[in-house]
Amino acid sequence: MKIPTQPSLRALLALTVLACISTAQADPVPTDADAREQRLERHVEELAQQLQAVQAELQALKAQNQAAASARNAPPAPPAPSLQMPQQAVQTAAAAPAPAPSAVPAAPASSPFQNLSLWGYGEVYYMHPRDSKRTEFDLARAVFGIGYQFDERTLFNSEYEVEHAVSSADDVGEFEVEQFYIDRLLSDQVGVKAGLILLPFGLLNEYHEPTNFYGVQRNFVETLIIPSTWREGGAALHGQTEFGLAWNVGITSDQDLSKWDFAPEFPQYTTALDLEDNEVAPLQATHQELALAKGQHLAQYLALNYNGVPGLKVGASIFNGKLATVPAPPNAPVPDDQHLTLWEAHARWMPGNFDISALYAHGAITNLAAINAQNPGSPNPIPSSFLGYYGQVAYTAWSSGGYRFAPFVRWEHYDMGASYEGVSGPVVPTGLVPLSAAPGDYGYWPQRYDRVWTFGANYYLGPHLVLKADYQSFRVNTDFSRYDLGLGLNF
Amino acid sequence: MKNARLLLIPLSPLALVTPAYAVTYLTVEQAQTLMFEGSVLTRDTRELTAAQIQAIESDSGVKVINPQVNAWHDSAGGWFLLDQVIGKHEFINYAVALDASGAVRQLEILDYHESYGGEVHLPAWRRQFIGKHHGSALQLNGDIKNISGATLSCGHVTDGVRRLLATYALVLASAEH
Repeated sequence: MKIPTQPSLRALLALTVLACISTAQADPVPTDADAREQRLERHVEELAQQLQAVQAELQALKAQNQAAASARNAPPAPPAPSLQMPQQAVQTAAAAPAPAPSAVPAAPASSPFQNLSLWGYGEVYYMHPRDSKRTEFDLARAVFGIGYQFDERTLFNSEYEVEHAVSSADDVGEFEVEQFYIDRLLSDQVGVKAGLILLPFGLLNEYHEPTNFYGVQRNFVETLIIPSTWREGGAALHGQTEFGLAWNVGITSDQDLSKWDFAPEFPQYTTALDLEDNEVAPLQATHQELALAKGQHLAQYLALNYNGVPGLKVGASIFNGKLATVPAPPNAPVPDDQHLTLWEAHARWMPGNFDISALYAHGAITNLAAINAQNPGSPNPIPSSFLGYYGQVAYTAWSSGGYRFAPFVRWEHYDMGASYEGVSGPVVPTGLVPLSAAPGDYGYWPQRYDRVWTFGANYYLGPHLVLKADYQSFRVNTDFSRYDLGLGLNF
Repeated sequence: MKNARLLLIPLSPLALVTPAYAVTYLTVEQAQTLMFEGSVLTRDTRELTAAQIQAIESDSGVKVINPQVNAWHDSAGGWFLLDQVIGKHEFINYAVALDASGAVRQLEILDYHESYGGEVHLPAWRRQFIGKHHGSALQLNGDIKNISGATLSCGHVTDGVRRLLATYALVLASAEH
């Protein structure tokens, strides 16, 4: 709103005086000089009152304007490229700031959606293992993201995921909150996150959308050793230096060993798809995901990544914390505290059409001897250590107008039980065993480790859509070998 | 000039209403000072015709989202160009300095609005654009290396520079100033 300026006030006053004089001149010629004087005095009084009223109005408008300006200027101002530039050339000294736009247009009515962001991703699998009766077709995940920018420094992000299409008491699907956090910039170099956050581990956990990885399913190391998608409740500081070192340090919730299943009646997985989905790996089986998570112990982590050389990323991270333990039986000695340490190192190099990556991950849990000893003969004791590593080479063989065809090969090794305390290892039945309650469903109890070759290709239809195909050869659990087809999207 | 969101007016006028989350590296004035220290810049904004837009899109393979070219030139024939591209969901505002031959002398990111992908600000990545000119391939994973985790932002800034260089060659270089 425009505020009357001092000159315009003067003009108003002058006009009013002129009008009054003119009115006075139009009056009949007074016969009494005193009466004329009184009329003039009355006019002057009226003018004075009008002036006071205008001044009061001016003060009110000024106050209103200052309040509005303060509100606008409260957050730091971003830079000012403006498309509302004059068409004619304007001489501007580069060293001197260009003048600010003289007037910001009055704000239109505020929309509740103006700072809202919506996004999503999802993937559909077709898995055909060697044991063809276990072939499955799955809408593995449909994820919807909602974000909101509160101001120039504060962002809210969240993701909601439906796994396996239908989530109900009678179906296998799940509905879960995958991320839910506030990200506040403390400066242009440092931010703080709080809420349910993804841990910045490995190459995949923060970048788990199907367009970001090769192969129909996520690799086994970054699913079974580093859980995927690994999220914890907590707070983290993060930042990036000018020379390309990104750092991230946080305090979070931790795992809960009391959720461990020492006595599964049947094998917990009978296909590679089950292996990734059934939450059997050490950190998958004990994660809490902020669902009434036990919070008496907190963990801490540190992640570093170097991006200072274009095309190269190298990084490492470590997580350590005390775990919620398995309740001891009556009269049994209380075991010492269990601590989890997970660390990993990774590298990705993208020279030309090649995309080469490698990762090593290792996890360890302390003081498990007494707990495992309380469950003798278990086919599924808690491992003291678990590890995995992979190497992968992809090559963009063809690309045109956003379409891209990239075959790849990956070799990986995972071991969900590299060592044990208190027991020599899992005691699994030998020979054919029932794999489920279904009549006639027999097979071999799977091993907790494997070496897997994956050969396949991603075919990108622009940046948001990808078709995938691969063949995975399992060298230990050979029945898991399979052909896979996948469709992924990300927007 | 105080508000970068003014740049978004043609596409999202409501962005003026509420401040948007942003890491602000440089204002326009700071970028001009950094890239043309000691020079006098003359604002030389152009409105592209439909034929020019079509020619730029055909030449660069990138869609023109803003028909207005925000340009300044100096007396030595250098150009300061402002542009914006989408990172993943939000705009990245950036500036490019061209020398008198039309080659990229400097690329600066002015602001970044998303949680991930801000690595396009890293000097080592931006240095890859120095010397690029109209006709350079400017292809991500080709002559411009990618940053893992910032693929969309890297790709879109690369596309944006290719579009700017086509704009320079087809519109600005042929005009007298």
